[in-house]
Amino acid sequence: MEKKAFQKQIINEALKQGFTDCEVFYLGGESFEILLMEGEVSNYENSSEAGVSFRGTYEGRTGYAFSERLEEESIGFLIEAAKENALLMSDEEREDLFGGEKYPEFHGYYPELEQVCVEKRIQLAKRMEEAALNGAENIASLDYCVLGIGKREVAITNSLGLDISYTKNFASGYVSAIARNGEETKKGSAFWKGRDWEDFNPEETGRKAARRGAALLGAGTVDSGTYTAVLDGKAMTSLLASFSGIFFAENVQKGFSLLKDRLGEKIAASCVTLRDDALLVGGYASVPFDSEGASGKNKAVIENGCLKTLLYNRKSAKKDGVASTGNGFKAGLTAPVKTACTNFYIQKDEKTLEELFGQMGNGLYITDFMGLHAGTNAVSGDFSLSAEGFLVENGSVTRPVEQITVSGNFYSLLLDISAVGEDLYFAASGKGSPSVLTEKIAVAGK
Amino acid sequence: MLKKNVVENTLLAALGTGADFAEIYMEETKRNTLSVVNGKVESAQSGLDYGVGIRLFFGNKAIYGFTNDTSEKNLIRIAREAAAAARGERVYPLQGWRKMNFSCRNSIRIMPDEVEKRKKAEKLFLASQAAKNYSPLITQTRANCLDVVQNVFIANSEGLWAEEERVRSRFNVEAIASSATEKQSGHLGPGGSVGFELYEQIDVEERAREAARIAVTMLGAKSCPAGRMPVVIDNGFGGVIFHEACGHSLEATAVARNASVFCGKMGQQIASSVVTAIDDGTIPNGWGSSAMDDEGTPTQRNVLIENGILRSYLVDKLNGRRMDAKATGSSRRESYRFAPTSRMTNTFIDNGKSTPTEIMGNTEFGLYAKQMGGGSVDPATGSFNFAVLEGYMIRDGKIAEPVRGATLIGKGMEVLQKIDMVGNNLARAQGMCGSISGSIPTDVGQPMIRVKEITVGGRG
Repeated sequence: MEKKAFQKQIINEALKQGFTDCEVFYLGGESFEILLMEGEVSNYENSSEAGVSFRGTYEGRTGYAFSERLEEESIGFLIEAAKENALLMSDEEREDLFGGEKYPEFHGYYPELEQVCVEKRIQLAKRMEEAALNGAENIASLDYCVLGIGKREVAITNSLGLDISYTKNFASGYVSAIARNGEETKKGSAFWKGRDWEDFNPEETGRKAARRGAALLGAGTVDSGTYTAVLDGKAMTSLLASFSGIFFAENVQKGFSLLKDRLGEKIAASCVTLRDDALLVGGYASVPFDSEGASGKNKAVIENGCLKTLLYNRKSAKKDGVASTGNGFKAGLTAPVKTACTNFYIQKDEKTLEELFGQMGNGLYITDFMGLHAGTNAVSGDFSLSAEGFLVENGSVTRPVEQITVSGNFYSLLLDISAVGEDLYFAASGKGSPSVLTEKIAVAGK
Repeated sequence: MLKKNVVENTLLAALGTGADFAEIYMEETKRNTLSVVNGKVESAQSGLDYGVGIRLFFGNKAIYGFTNDTSEKNLIRIAREAAAAARGERVYPLQGWRKMNFSCRNSIRIMPDEVEKRKKAEKLFLASQAAKNYSPLITQTRANCLDVVQNVFIANSEGLWAEEERVRSRFNVEAIASSATEKQSGHLGPGGSVGFELYEQIDVEERAREAARIAVTMLGAKSCPAGRMPVVIDNGFGGVIFHEACGHSLEATAVARNASVFCGKMGQQIASSVVTAIDDGTIPNGWGSSAMDDEGTPTQRNVLIENGILRSYLVDKLNGRRMDAKATGSSRRESYRFAPTSRMTNTFIDNGKSTPTEIMGNTEFGLYAKQMGGGSVDPATGSFNFAVLEGYMIRDGKIAEPVRGATLIGKGMEVLQKIDMVGNNLARAQGMCGSISGSIPTDVGQPMIRVKEITVGGRG
């Protein structure tokens, strides 16, 4: 059934059946992906999907249900299930629907991205593959070589008159190369994500992956002890992503973050400014509004070391008596509105990587953390992660390092950062960081 | 779920592009989740996943598409669009239908979608209360339950016509203990291919108290010392070590791409001779069990390692072509959104001969990992990383003080060789395993084992 008509029909039916207000959130997407193996397309995927999530107030309480079957038969199910779910909720947890506000102009959809023919896309992937295979000595094979296009459409309609939508798309290339020397195996990866195929340099992306993998060959462990370290943008971003939840007001309110009552206080070194910017031009996570229809905003979460704001959805904002920061997102159809970041990044400073190494003198240059979903405690901030990177002596990289575990605490790490680099890195998720120099990390090696 | 003529016309359109194999996978899945935080319902969700995945093979090349628009016109369009990327040289015929009768291996007593949600909520309230009452140090509790009724239909050009209804239920409880400066958590998540009778089989209050006990114990624990030492890993969820460190590297997904450390090692000694490891998708009511896999091959019991010798990989149809190996009933996917590939089902190290008392008594100094957290592994390098949720030092063959923040790191190949004692108290535990075909339910398991030496990360 046509999307808009379907959304309207659900709302009309729900109001008839006793809901006092209600909303239909539509999420649609298309994706295209090719996976290359040894010069051949080994997997090819072309998909479309759509679904709706319903929420509404029934007997003063909020109930949810979703369906991927966009046919008239689903309407009865959505309404009945949402009623039963509503009756389990307490009225304090009731979610107020939103009639809308002023929204920023948003340019996120680039139709020409999808007009490049399949043969041309395959050619680009092959060039990336070849560059990765020849990008360094000792490249044995590729782990992955993928090229894709993704499109996403969000449309929210509710009984208060809200009726908004946006569409965004991106193209991306990802390659991961396996470097081998005897029994030793290392991996290096690189990706590109953008809105214009002209910006994609498959040779550069391929070479980068190869060089990263090859550089790690010959790695050994280091003595256990306390080290000074430069965490590169990618490694720091992965930590930041794992602990982003400590900045969510809903976690603070429920006791799942240690940032309670810390607003305005110094929680990080003065060189640290952390932003969440929904409006960043070209940002991977840019959106004009969140899943509740709150307009996207650019805010400093930490400014020069001071905690400036938490990230709010409408419910947590109401509890603290403030306005939503536009961070109420559904992690898909099945999820209720929670809190999520948009473009969430540590602002860059002026130091080059070489200058950071110089300032450090002797220490570790960490380029990757592994096992983040297991080795981090989101509540206490503790982490203990296997890592790899390089040993830095007298300001220069001397050899690669592996088989070490880096342990610390994210809250302490923020305070221990003594310098921030100029090399701002963004992960595909929109989270990012430049390289940072940090004092005192505990390393288990030999 | 789909009409016979729609299935036939779609498969014929796919074969018309020159594909030598075509498959339709359809599912309609009802899900219910309920979550209680600090004794109050935080979320209640119900929904319907609904869609079709179409897969074509051109030799070793695979093409996949999925959609929720299940009209004949749209399915045929998806099947034909494949020709943009591949075209075969001849048109293969559609074989006559062979209806597979997958009698329900996992008998379900109480269909979970027919149980009132209020009854489920009551179980969660009981658990929350039990965790909170365990100790004044417990400051937060979370309990949730989920149930899934998945109806799967698979038809392919080889004539397979198969349907299966899969029912799963799981209960999770987490307790957080706090002091002025610290928070520690404990959690447990039992489940299976069962209906609401799960709650007759487990005592939710007892599980909640156990989660609370872990949190409180770890709150008082000192940081774990770092270094290389013997590690005794307890039964049940301890099996995550095998799952992560070895299981993933035995999946054809990694092996066929020559990206596994176990490539070319069939018939060779890859583990210490006390290790026998099994992946068994047929265990009645097992969390990772099903009658058929997600490409219609009946599941089976696969002996992966026998007395240290590599006996089998986990193989799906596509990688089976690439490796010239037979499918092992191991092809799985989260939903129609994913092309299926070789994955684990219920994977465990089998019982050995030692008793837990002997293993502990023979360990003068080391780490006792009583409860493992999750972990991850890179199949290309075999490097893994696990968190120890509940750990203790072993001194003079006895369990000594609790330690927290420990992680185990190493390489799968090395650890397999270094397992020197295997206990006789096999137990399984439930987890969700994420990989390229999505997040799927899997059991891990093992008896108590001892690893002679492993790198322990910690801050003590």
